[in-house]
Amino acid sequence: MSSVSGLFANQRTELERVVEFAERFGEEHQLPAEVVMTIHLVLDEVVANVINYGYDDTAEHQIRVTLTVDGSELGIRVEDDGRAFDPLQAPPPDLNLPLEERPVGGLGIHIVRSVMDAVEYQRQGDRNVLIMTKTIGRN
Amino acid sequence: MDVFQSTSAAAPGVLTLTLKGRLDADGTDKVAGLLAGYIDRGERRLVLDLSAVDYVSSVGLRALMLAAKRLVPLGGRIVLCGPQAQVRQLLDIAGFTSMFSIAANRDEAAERML
Repeated sequence: MSSVSGLFANQRTELERVVEFAERFGEEHQLPAEVVMTIHLVLDEVVANVINYGYDDTAEHQIRVTLTVDGSELGIRVEDDGRAFDPLQAPPPDLNLPLEERPVGGLGIHIVRSVMDAVEYQRQGDRNVLIMTKTIGRN
Repeated sequence: MDVFQSTSAAAPGVLTLTLKGRLDADGTDKVAGLLAGYIDRGERRLVLDLSAVDYVSSVGLRALMLAAKRLVPLGGRIVLCGPQAQVRQLLDIAGFTSMFSIAANRDEAAERML
């Protein structure tokens, strides 16, 4: 089992560092390109949501991202100390609505739930914790 | 994200935008502004060539949806063409295959505009 953790500030400019973090992890563990893409996409969606919506103040906050590989299971964990928010409570988008009736929001978490096998939210003390897992093939 | 525009005598009235790079938050900012500008100046039939787009996130998908929501009531349409496999997968997840016409290549996209 191999685990790497990184801390990122709640600023949009940090998203590029998050991507680099994911790519480095992918290289170190020789993960297939599509798995690295999945990590990139999931972190992009989750961390951007935290940065954009998680805080009511203008202070700097730290977001902890932990990537884990245990055999053929990939783990992605994102923790923040923003206001309590469970992204899994949002209803999934109705994909059958015609264009003009489709609401614009809700796609990010829908994508995360579609590309990961399991997504779980926990509130631990004053932190939001999102725990995501996926069975992957290894190189 | 780079955007190249082109027109073709074979498809009059159709503007083709070739996108290259990532449709992430930064890439989308650029594309959304350009799309709004084109629609403002009267473009109604847009082909978005996605063959050189290797990444799209929900920000990019939202921008495509907003452009279409604006264009369709004006009598216009957007056809997406040539998405890479991983991008196609996300278009499917987002339910875009029912909302957008997705062509394999530009020739097919031009035909869909007729």
